[in-house]
Amino acid sequence: MKTVAAIAPVLALAAALTAAPAFAADLTVAFPSAAPQGQIMVAVFNSEANYGGEGQPAQVAILDAAAGQTSVTFDGLPDGDYAVRAFHDLNGDGKMNTNPFGMPVEPFAFSNNAVGNMGPASWERAKFAAAGATTQSIDLK
Amino acid sequence: MTPSRRSFLMGAAALSAAVATPEMTRAAAALDAVAATKADWALATQDVEGDIARQTMRLVHGRAPAELQGALYRNGPAKFRRPGGSATHWFDGDGMMRAFRIQDGQATLEARFADTPKRRTETELAAVVTPGFGTKGDGRARIGSNDDANAANTAVMVAGDQVWALWEAGSPLALSASDLSTRNFVTLRDDLKGMPFQAHPRYAPDGSIWNVGSAGGQAVIWHLRPDRSLSDAQVVPLPRASYMHDFTATDRHVILVLQPWVFTTHAMPVTAGLTWRPEMGTQVLVLDKDDLSKRRLYELPGFFHFHLGDAWAERDGTIRFDVAASGDPRFAVDGARVLVDGHGVVPGDPAKLALITLHPDGRADMAYSDVVGEFPKADPRRAGLKRSLTAHTSGETRGRPLPTGLAVHDWDSGRSHAFEFGVHQVVEEAVFVPKPGATAERDAWLVGPSVNLKDGRTELHIFDVARIEDGPVATWQADVAMPAGFHGVWAG
Repeated sequence: MKTVAAIAPVLALAAALTAAPAFAADLTVAFPSAAPQGQIMVAVFNSEANYGGEGQPAQVAILDAAAGQTSVTFDGLPDGDYAVRAFHDLNGDGKMNTNPFGMPVEPFAFSNNAVGNMGPASWERAKFAAAGATTQSIDLK
Repeated sequence: MTPSRRSFLMGAAALSAAVATPEMTRAAAALDAVAATKADWALATQDVEGDIARQTMRLVHGRAPAELQGALYRNGPAKFRRPGGSATHWFDGDGMMRAFRIQDGQATLEARFADTPKRRTETELAAVVTPGFGTKGDGRARIGSNDDANAANTAVMVAGDQVWALWEAGSPLALSASDLSTRNFVTLRDDLKGMPFQAHPRYAPDGSIWNVGSAGGQAVIWHLRPDRSLSDAQVVPLPRASYMHDFTATDRHVILVLQPWVFTTHAMPVTAGLTWRPEMGTQVLVLDKDDLSKRRLYELPGFFHFHLGDAWAERDGTIRFDVAASGDPRFAVDGARVLVDGHGVVPGDPAKLALITLHPDGRADMAYSDVVGEFPKADPRRAGLKRSLTAHTSGETRGRPLPTGLAVHDWDSGRSHAFEFGVHQVVEEAVFVPKPGATAERDAWLVGPSVNLKDGRTELHIFDVARIEDGPVATWQADVAMPAGFHGVWAG
């Protein structure tokens, strides 16, 4: 869970990342059931090492869910395997809020709607191949 | 047995759980099938394959009291075994809510599984994969939060037009009271989502409800208004990280009994992280309901327990409550595995009732009765107040698991009255239901089911508390046998 909570600082670190050279994959990450409230933090990773460790995401986005924004498209990603971590910052404080015992209280999810095993979903469960127009539809829970 | 040897044996039990694979489980099941050695009581932990539609129960004995109208909701595990791996511990089966409805002298029974993430995952995989209290689980588990492991299988409380299926380490799961269909996990306040809400809420004389949720060396103390909305929740530090299934309360105090079964490692299942250290004794932490920072700590010799009775405070500050106590946690570790195996010997002795007294001068003492008993229940009109009676299951003997009778113990007179069905019945917890308009403690019924092993059917019994030894005043029989459940609540 703590790794999930670490999305926020990682997002901040990675905010300067720009688009890669023109390649085939256009990745759309959608949260169709997200409540119109706060913001949705999205981080896209392109390797297991970056996804599971301290590495930076390849792409990040902050969706204005309060204004109805529930999807984002990352254009021109190199074809390859990716995984997405996201959480719904319902109160817009920029943090993954936790209960007094340290468990997340704001909805979070991973690509493939993968669920972990007493922690964040593994790269193995969350990874997907992106090539051409690719959509990940994710339920934040 | 010395403590160190016991610890070693428990460690060994945990280790063997850790290396059990689904293949081993299947092999063991195959061996079982060959040996066909199921005990006569194995019906009490059989699997139920699907929901059970409401059916009219057949009156097979006596006559129902006309004034008795209401529903007994009961929760308990009802699915342990799947082709690709099984729950190995009684506490880890899928929760199934039962409703016994009594009206106009008739009784009906229906039962429905709690539709949990755990059950959905394991149905899809055709395997029990989720770690639990005593089941190791495996790498296929999908646990993003503690409620993904929630079996919703332990107890139940009524909340308006819902009943909440309670577990130990997660949120209540709201079900419709009318058809038992699953609605949602209950979040009492957004910032408390997922906080553990244990299976034994205590009802206060003012109509409010207290409960606890523990996590190692701290616990959340819940206080709910009579309408089940949250009044307050506070986290308090505990003097030790003890396994706690129950707590108790007087009208003025929350009482946490910290047994010497302590978390010493982070491990799954839960039992693998616990070590029995009787030399530490049992601590009793008393918190003032009006100010949870006001606390007193009492020391008792070490004992093991799951269940406590309602507590009361006397005028001079003395606090008393009862407990179903035993010498060690062997039932919790090994006995509950024997139950799911459906054969074998449950180690240790059955629990006995004891009365704990906390004196104003800081001393504490514990007086054991010679009464074998579990699942203590008391008069809800006196919850948190002075009472004399404890109703409980009885008849369990060394070497044969599960109760066979019901009894009422009077702490003032020291006398017990019991009705023994015999070993062809597995008797479940009975709830204490006051007679309408009556106030005396004995003016009440006990309402609870049993599994009739001879007939292969679940029965529902009504006893008069004042004459329990006369046997049930009414008994109905279903046309199915449900596995034995854990805890219930009466909705009058």
